[in-house]
Order: sequence, then structure tokens, then C-alpha cells
Amino acid sequence: MVKRNLLILILLLPCSLFAGSTQMNSSSAASRDDNFSSTRGGLEIVSSDGEFSATLGGRLLLDAAYYDEDKNSLGNGTELRSARLEMEGRIYADIIYELSVDFADGDADMKDAWLAYDAYHPWRFTLGHFKEPFSLEELTSRKHLTFMERALPNALVPGRNMGLGLHWYGEQISVAAGLFGDDYNDDSDDEGDEGWGGSTRLTYAPLATDRSVVHFGVSASHRKLDDEEEYRVDSRPESHLTDIHYLDTGKIKQSRTLTLVGLESAWVYGEASLQGEWIASNLERDDAADIEFSGWYIQASWFPTGESRHYKSQQARFGRVNPLSEQGALELALRYSTLDLNDQDVEGGSSDQLAFAVNWYYKPQLRFMMNYIVVNNDRYADADGDVENEDEPNILQLRAQLDF
Amino acid sequence: MQLHDWCFNRLSRQLMNIILFCLMVLLMVTPCHAASHQKDTLVIGKISHNPKKHYQYLKPMAKYVAERMTDLGIEKIKIRLAKSKEHLADLLQQGEVDWVTETPVAAAYLNEVAGAEILLRKWKKGVAQYHTVFFSLSGQGIDRLEDLKGRVIALEDPASTSAFYAPANALIQRGLKLVRLDSARDEPPANAVGFVFSREEINIATLVHKGVVDAGAFSSDDWVKDDHLPKKYREDFEIFHRTPDMVRALEIVRQDLDPKIRQRLSEILLDANANPAAAPVLRAYQRTAKFDQLTEDQKQSIYNLRNMIKAVDQAVVW
Repeated sequence: MVKRNLLILILLLPCSLFAGSTQMNSSSAASRDDNFSSTRGGLEIVSSDGEFSATLGGRLLLDAAYYDEDKNSLGNGTELRSARLEMEGRIYADIIYELSVDFADGDADMKDAWLAYDAYHPWRFTLGHFKEPFSLEELTSRKHLTFMERALPNALVPGRNMGLGLHWYGEQISVAAGLFGDDYNDDSDDEGDEGWGGSTRLTYAPLATDRSVVHFGVSASHRKLDDEEEYRVDSRPESHLTDIHYLDTGKIKQSRTLTLVGLESAWVYGEASLQGEWIASNLERDDAADIEFSGWYIQASWFPTGESRHYKSQQARFGRVNPLSEQGALELALRYSTLDLNDQDVEGGSSDQLAFAVNWYYKPQLRFMMNYIVVNNDRYADADGDVENEDEPNILQLRAQLDF
Repeated sequence: MQLHDWCFNRLSRQLMNIILFCLMVLLMVTPCHAASHQKDTLVIGKISHNPKKHYQYLKPMAKYVAERMTDLGIEKIKIRLAKSKEHLADLLQQGEVDWVTETPVAAAYLNEVAGAEILLRKWKKGVAQYHTVFFSLSGQGIDRLEDLKGRVIALEDPASTSAFYAPANALIQRGLKLVRLDSARDEPPANAVGFVFSREEINIATLVHKGVVDAGAFSSDDWVKDDHLPKKYREDFEIFHRTPDMVRALEIVRQDLDPKIRQRLSEILLDANANPAAAPVLRAYQRTAKFDQLTEDQKQSIYNLRNMIKAVDQAVVW
């Protein structure tokens, strides 16, 4: 009986294997060329059902600055402004993630580190370390900013923190909101409770075509500060190479809550564009009057070579400029920005800056930038007493930028 | 002891028989089971050169339709991206893809090779139909297609409907010979039209504007888009020929798809036109304005595009 069964089994085995191989052949089209891979300098792999994907990329920003000094030494030189590796992808159809680390300062600085649930288009739920929804300029990637550095009022903006957020977009409107703790890179020796707060941004773009955009936005943020109850805002001139933060409030003790409000607008008409923001903060203290800071900027840009700034309506921010010709795109831009950190007993200083930019986008992923900045500081702008006040240097800075 | 041995041997044999029987059943059943295609999943397919982007616009539609087919036993709609029309035809033939969103040229090919059938017209990017425009710099003495003899035209890529098949067919129908050039700066034969592929519409426009090639051709849809054709380029160009209108995009289904599912799919897509819940889905789905039905004659004229594909493939000197 056993022998007979063994014989049948042996006879059946090739049939079964053949049946299996037929099955394999029948699905040869399915298994053939299963994944997509491509490169634009980085590496992208996508499964044939799209449910899994991974993109490895990064950026390199190489800066040089010459300071036409007035009273203080600012330190001419060169630096790696950003040397970042970025990994983003999708798993099991509905989960997307991003992990990016910047090594420019010689150590690993965590940037985006989040995962998001993407099952309910156009809703997206995000958890991790990412930018709070506040300010058009802050949410636009540094890769796609018109100027080398963000304008002065950006010092008030919350930036990246650990939190959870919800984002939704419609045809003309986008809404983002989130609850956040402190920055991932917060001091681990601090034993007190972290601060926490919420931010929200609402945008409305009645016009958002390829070359014509009208954009309005409003942001608000409220935060309970951590147990140390100290608040400090400081800002370099619009140049990162110097370490001097002319504007510096020092530590403002017994600070309880911080409220921020921002208004933003942008207009693109073909080669020309305008963009402006106003940001104000209110700091509530335990036993003293509230402190209020504010700043604003306005910028204009023009592409003599015919390109247009690229507005990404889903995220309500600006993206990559694609040159129209092999010679690349040329952009000229002008910006005025101001930030006032003086109020009541706090003398953090005030500064006005006028910046002129020439950008040459040689390829979509390679551009060269030149900024010339005229700085005008007031008598309190002394880096919290560390440098001479009323300094009025001029700055010439250059950047080569590559992303892949 | 002998009794014990006897019992043990007998039990062993019984056990062996059971194990072998189970193995036989397993070997016989497994491939059959694997081969049977469980239809609790519907698959939407597309030819893709940008799978990440295409997945993002197919996904909301897949979810939207799946939610409206649960009573038919459909639990999920999966996405299948194919690298070529040949690959997609294979997948359709094997029942691995049920529903496809594609261009008329792809629909004609998939109909001929895999028997796939047109379900509905898709108003992709808000447009029901479009045509190809031929253009050149103003004042170059190019007034009609025949004037391209001995000159060079820039087209998009070999898979494009409006920027390859349709313009190539228009030239061939006028008895012109088409010869592919390695470079836009190569001299074309005097008795033929030279052509180059420049991958994107903006490259076609730039080559024409710089005078590197004599003419370009792409869709009427792209002609009015500033990022494909900047205004200052357009002002310097003139259109010297337009092809007849053709359907912009189509929803296509596998020939042997369950008629109930096919019917329901059609109903869901037609209903999406007026359903507010579908608005974000349609926007993600290549900014589709709506779906509508085509007559049998209209469908047949799309299937007949296969003759155009063949004519072009045979006539072009690659």
C-alpha cells in the first residue's frame, strides 16, 4: 500500500510541478519587470502595484559670504549650508514616510522624520517631527526659496517640532492643523515638562494655474512654554555664515504662553511674482505685561528668461523652477524685510534689510545664487550686549545648490 | 512483544498512507487552487513612466469605486502599473487587469491584441477631445504639411498619440516619407521629412523657437498651456495645420469581465459626474471633468486607429 502510494506520488510530482510551472508561466507577465526603478541623480523604486515605493535623495548647499563690515567683525568665509540625505517612501499602500538628516554642522541634525496615513484622500494624518503649519516661506523648502535665507520675521516661526497633524485640500482651499511638543533636538537633560501647543494654517487660492496664482493665507499658533518658562528669539542678518545674531531678546523669564499670528499672500503673473507676509507674536508672562513682537517682508521676482514660479496648490507653497531652455533660467528679485524685537522691558533690537538676488537655474536641480544685502540695525540690535549696536554692514553671499 | 511489533508496524503503515494521501491531495489541489482567480479584487491598470505619480491619482478612484461594489463581492481594487502597452495587453489577456484608463491609441492596441473594450469616454483634464497642431516660427514659408519636405519636425516620443502617431499619420497620408534623425541638427533627406523625439512639449517649443528644427507638433491642449508653450514663444509661432479632433482619454475594460461588474463600473463613473463625494476623486484622477458614453460608431472609429498605428509603424524609417 505504502509502495503503491509512493509510486503515485512520484508520478504525480512532475505533473504537479508542471502545473505549478504553468501557473508561473501564466503569471509571467505579472512577475516580469515587477518593479520600476529610475533616477534623476537619486534613486527611486516603485512596486508595480504602487503600494510600496522608496526614494533616496539629498541636497548639497555650498555657501560663501563676504561682509562689507561696519562696526563689528562678521567673519568672511565659506560653509556647507546643508548636506542632507533624504529618504521617503510608501509602505502597504496607505503609509507614507520621510526621514531626512542634515550633516552640515558636522553632526546629524534630524529634519523631517514622520509617517503619515494616506488612506482617506484628500485627508492626510501625519505623526512625527515635521514643520508646524505656519507661514508660506517656512513651508516652502529651502531648495525652492527665492533668496538664500528666509526673511527676518521667520525668527518668530515655530519650525519643526514633534507632533501630529491633519491636512486637507480642496480645489482652492487648504487646511492644516496640528498639536506639537518641543523640537526633537530639545535638551535631553531638561527634566521639566516640555512645552506644547497647536498651530493651524488656512489658505485660499482663487487662481492657481501653471503661470498665474493668487494666494492668501492665515496662520495661528498657541503654545504653552516648557517648565523653565523661558522664551528667547534671536536672528542673524539674512546670512547664515556669520554667527552674530544681532537681534536677540535674551532669556525672557516667567514666560507662560506664546501666541503667533501670520498673514501671507502671493501673486504670480507669468514671469513676475510678488510675495509678502506679516507675523506677530504675543508673549504672556506670569507677573508682567505681555510682550509683542512683529515683522513683515515683501518680495518681488522676475524671470527675464520667461519662466514662472511654480505654485503647488495641494500643499499651498512654492516648488521647483524648471528652466525653459538649455541655457537655464535667470531670476532677479528684491526683498525688504523688517523685524522688531523691542517691547516694554525687552530690548531685542530691530532691523531692516534690503536684499537683491540673482539666481541662475542652470538645470531644474542645479542652481547658483547671489544675494546682496543692505543691513540697517537699530540701537538695541547688539546681540544681547555682545556686539556694537547700530551696525550697518552690507553682505555679498553666493551659493551653489544641487539636489538629487 | 510480537503482537506489539505487529500493531506498531500496522500503525506505521496506516500513518504513512495517511501522510502520503495528504501529500497527494495537496500536490493535486494546490496548483488548481492557485490558478483559480478569486474575484474579490478588481484591478485597474495603466501604462506608466511615472509610477509614483500615477499611483497617487489612481488610488482615490480605486477606493471610491471599491466602496460602491461591495454588494457584488468586490472587497478591494488594486492598481497595476505596466511599463508598456505590450505588457498591459498581456495582463489583460491573463485576467490580471480588469479595467484600464488610457489614450485612444492605447485603447485601439489593447482592443486588437487583448480584445479590451471601450467602456466610457474620460474628460481628462476637462477635455472631451483634442487634436494635433503643427506650428513653426512665423514667416518661415511653411504654410502646409507638404512644405515640410526636406525639413525637420520635432515630436515628443514614440508612445505619444497627439505628438507622434497623429502628426506622423497626417504626414504619411499626404504621401510624405518620414525619417528619424539622430540629432535635431542632422540634415534630413531632400525627399523626406526628418523628425526627432525631444521627450517633452517644452523641448519641442524651444527647438522650434531657437530655429534648430523647422516645425513642431503637439496637442491643442498643450498649445494653450504656458508651461508647455510660453506665451512669448506662442506669439512668435504660427499654426499651419490641425488634424481632426479625436477623443482625449478612455476607460477600457477586459473583454470577459463579469457583465454585472462592468455595468456597475459604468454606473459608478457616470454617477460620479454629479456626486459631490466624487469631486476630489475626479480631481486626483487627472483632473477629469466627467465621464460620458460613446456610440458604437465612435468606439469603432477609435478601434480603427489600429490601422493608423500600423501605417505609421510601417511607413516610418526608424
